[in-house]
Amino acid sequence: MRSVRVTKVLRDLSSHWFRTLLVVLSIAIGVFAVGVILGGRQVLVREFDREYAASQPPNAVLYTAPFDERIVRDVLEYPGVEAALGRRSAEVRYSWRGSPGLRTLRVVAYEDLESISVQKVVPEQAGHWPPGRGEIVLESSAKQTGDYRVGDVFTIAREHDDPVGVKVVGFAHDVNAFPAQFSGAETGFVSFATLPDLGLPQTFDQLLVVFDQDGLTQRSASRVAEGIARDVFEANGIAVYATDVPKPGSHFLGDIFKAVSLLLLALGILALALSGFLVTNTVSALMAQHIKQVGIMKAVGGHASQVTAMYLGMVGVYGVMAVAIGLPAATVTGKWFIGYAADILNIRVVSHAPPGWVTALEIAVGLIVPLLAAVVPVHAGTRMSVAHALSAAGVPTTEFGHGRFDRLLGGVRGLPRPVALSLRNTFLRKGRLALTLATLTLASAVVMSVFCVQSSIDRTIDDLDAWWRYDMEIRYERPVDAQVLEREIRAVDGVSDVESWITAPTSLARADGTRNETLVTQGVPADTTFVAPSVTSGRWLEPGDTDAVVVNTDALKAEPDLGVGRRVTLAMLGRERTWRVVGVVKGQMGGPALFTTRDALATCLGDAAVSRSVVKSTTSDAQEQQQTLERIERRLEEAGYAVAETHTVADLRDQVASQLGILVSFLVIMAALLASVGVIGLTGAMSINVIESTREIGVMRAIGATHDSIYRIFTTEGLVVGLMSWALGAVVAYPLSYYLTAGLSQTIGVPLTYRFSWSGVGLWCAAIGVISIVASLAPAFRASQVSVRDAIAYE
Amino acid sequence: MSETSSLLSLRGVVKVYDTGEVPFTALRGIDLEVHTGEFVGIIGKSGSGKTTLINMITGIDHPTSGEIVVAGTRVHALSENELARWRGRTIGVVFQFFQLLPTLTVLENVLLPMDFCHMWTPRERTARAMYLLEQVELADQADKLPAALSGGQQQRAAIARALANDPPILAADEPTGNLDSKTAEAVFGLFEGLVQQHKTIIMVTHDNDLAQRVRRALHVSDGQIAEERVLRPRHGA
Repeated sequence: MRSVRVTKVLRDLSSHWFRTLLVVLSIAIGVFAVGVILGGRQVLVREFDREYAASQPPNAVLYTAPFDERIVRDVLEYPGVEAALGRRSAEVRYSWRGSPGLRTLRVVAYEDLESISVQKVVPEQAGHWPPGRGEIVLESSAKQTGDYRVGDVFTIAREHDDPVGVKVVGFAHDVNAFPAQFSGAETGFVSFATLPDLGLPQTFDQLLVVFDQDGLTQRSASRVAEGIARDVFEANGIAVYATDVPKPGSHFLGDIFKAVSLLLLALGILALALSGFLVTNTVSALMAQHIKQVGIMKAVGGHASQVTAMYLGMVGVYGVMAVAIGLPAATVTGKWFIGYAADILNIRVVSHAPPGWVTALEIAVGLIVPLLAAVVPVHAGTRMSVAHALSAAGVPTTEFGHGRFDRLLGGVRGLPRPVALSLRNTFLRKGRLALTLATLTLASAVVMSVFCVQSSIDRTIDDLDAWWRYDMEIRYERPVDAQVLEREIRAVDGVSDVESWITAPTSLARADGTRNETLVTQGVPADTTFVAPSVTSGRWLEPGDTDAVVVNTDALKAEPDLGVGRRVTLAMLGRERTWRVVGVVKGQMGGPALFTTRDALATCLGDAAVSRSVVKSTTSDAQEQQQTLERIERRLEEAGYAVAETHTVADLRDQVASQLGILVSFLVIMAALLASVGVIGLTGAMSINVIESTREIGVMRAIGATHDSIYRIFTTEGLVVGLMSWALGAVVAYPLSYYLTAGLSQTIGVPLTYRFSWSGVGLWCAAIGVISIVASLAPAFRASQVSVRDAIAYE
Repeated sequence: MSETSSLLSLRGVVKVYDTGEVPFTALRGIDLEVHTGEFVGIIGKSGSGKTTLINMITGIDHPTSGEIVVAGTRVHALSENELARWRGRTIGVVFQFFQLLPTLTVLENVLLPMDFCHMWTPRERTARAMYLLEQVELADQADKLPAALSGGQQQRAAIARALANDPPILAADEPTGNLDSKTAEAVFGLFEGLVQQHKTIIMVTHDNDLAQRVRRALHVSDGQIAEERVLRPRHGA
């Protein structure tokens, strides 16, 4: 026979189904948030690490003059080399059904596509692998930039010949490829047989090397790479143009990924805290409602421990139900979230299953957090004397009016009676109000902080706009004469002005004998009006500078020795000389860069040929600028210039925004999740307020209050709570968003300029107003439906 | 039962409530002896201290000073938990507003004290609860929820619950205060029957007609027993 106590617990749960639903949802949303956020984070980190390790990432990439398999064999014999692979990479311009103009395609060709030993490529099931002659397999991230399909034909422009068609036959994933949505160029894999069709030689121009991993550091990898360049390539008369030595085990998107991951962790902990608040609030309210019943049970012989066990048992049942709802919901949503994040970060997910400890944590959040949250209110309720418990009506009406604040509220005059009542009701249950406010305030602060991060990103991009005083940019495959070139460009309709720069891959000789090969030096006219540098220290270039360089903040971050006043030895295209750092300018999100005068760089290189033109347009319309750029490209091709890449500054801005937008999109998802925790919290608190105010409602109805008046009183109460949380949240949002932006900036290595979003604060004010009213609608409706007879009889 | 055996004894019981700036003294040194089988009425105006007095006897509230001994137990020295178990077995409490648990059926409400105090086996509990409900003529309502019962029926169910653990004492605070006169008469009749079964009943009431019918009437005024009247011979005397 079932114990009467168990029967009472089950009956309480089922007879107050609406309250049960609210409590269960409150707990379930915590389980859900923790599951989605922490589960998503762990799966993404695990899958990213797995795929990156499995890809056999190169420890060095050498960009060289053409070489063949013999050199690769020599490199494999070199001490410390574990694997080596030669390949050819080139940028071509192409058009297809989904693109109005020409786009840049990074073609990567392998001699044997079935045995790629370094930077491995994983073909997708759809389509086929390897691609044959005249075929291409696109890197999977292309799907993020366009509706590419198997069977599409790319029309590829050739320098000395008619365009040629290449058929898309499949997709393959390369975790080490720079995703198309960030670079603005798709990557495609072809066989060596296709190279002649594209006008490219069947030789390698890149060497990917994996070193012996035992004790490998970036410095030691750099030394081995230099040795290979010297002893294998240069000894065979093959020039090495640049060497890229990444930090071992560090993916190029690692910083952004780390930022996202940290963000998810922080928000997961926040979600956990919020759900704890929510549950504490709800259980406290539940105990307040049941206090008289506790008194009765104790009056008829119930021991405090027996009554405590009943209520903890009830909370336990809430927890089991919440886990039953939250766990599967988190699994389904988590799978979607992981898929979404994996697409953005270009990660191939093999298993969506979160680690066991995340599931255990979800269950703990659902079962243990509510019990912990319930211990204090249940203990307080069951330890209360019978006399006190029996005299409690559930509504602490006698507690209102004693405090200074209550008297202050009571003294507010001129408000319509229902508004005054709502305002005072709001402060009737201060403990619950504090917890509801804490939940909503945190959620509001996070939402407004997301607006601030977005605003800071916008401002950072605005700053970039300030740097870019040109509208279009053209990069050439080979250095060209500036004078003739600029004459051709100026003749194009829509061009207002043009300037050409010299670009040189640059190697910095460090004090310890190693080199940084990833720098680029731009030679710009000293009196250029095409950029407006934001100088953070020192000065910008001046006419007459012969050995001055200005570095950007990205370069300074990578090489702290590049401070103002330092003399540094730079090697550019084989020529080495000493330069003086005269200033630091803010980074342009294009990576580490150095600037010097065009004349000084031409003198250093012994060649005044330029490799890049920047163009000002006669119009500010992005579409017209794109059309002008297409006209320029056509004219230059007709004049025999080989264009490697073109883009408008508007495109660049979009690319930067899309990179930083990843962070914002994650933040938005998380903020929405936290806001929903807050909204459910408010709905729960309002519903319990209504239940506790049943007798008051009856009295109001008895003395003439209409359904509408009751409705208004409770929606106003919800609105007051919502607006209070908005105001408090706005105060918290300022430091929170400042540190969030600073943290993101630090992690991704991009100096974001902080800007508080007043429009975001305004927008959230309107949103929280609507949300609060909506959250109060159901409770207010229930309040308006209370009959006078039932209300007066309510115990 | 011997008339001279003292079942309940109060010595110098004082209760002071801290109500803010001025403490309120509800009981001012109450001395009282109640014997087994007595039907005692506590009568007084609202605020006189009669509910406080019965709360002292049931252990629902604690005295500020003084001693309360019920069936040999020093009630004032017990903790809340000890009081709960003691009360469950020693005193059946009947409230003015019935205070049945709304989510339990009538039968389950009666079973609850037995469940709490581990009295009888589960099968015996049900049989006893049904027996008690028959005594109060509610056996046919056993499976209904309290909300489906009239006020009189609820109060009779509450009396059955108070008798669940067969306590020697029944303490009732205004048990008929919320009932019409006919129903109140029926409930009072139940109490009289219980007295005949040697139960000791202490009842708070402000109904002068009912007060006339109890064996001992204690008039409480300003926290003191202002007058005591023995109105008719106690049963068995």
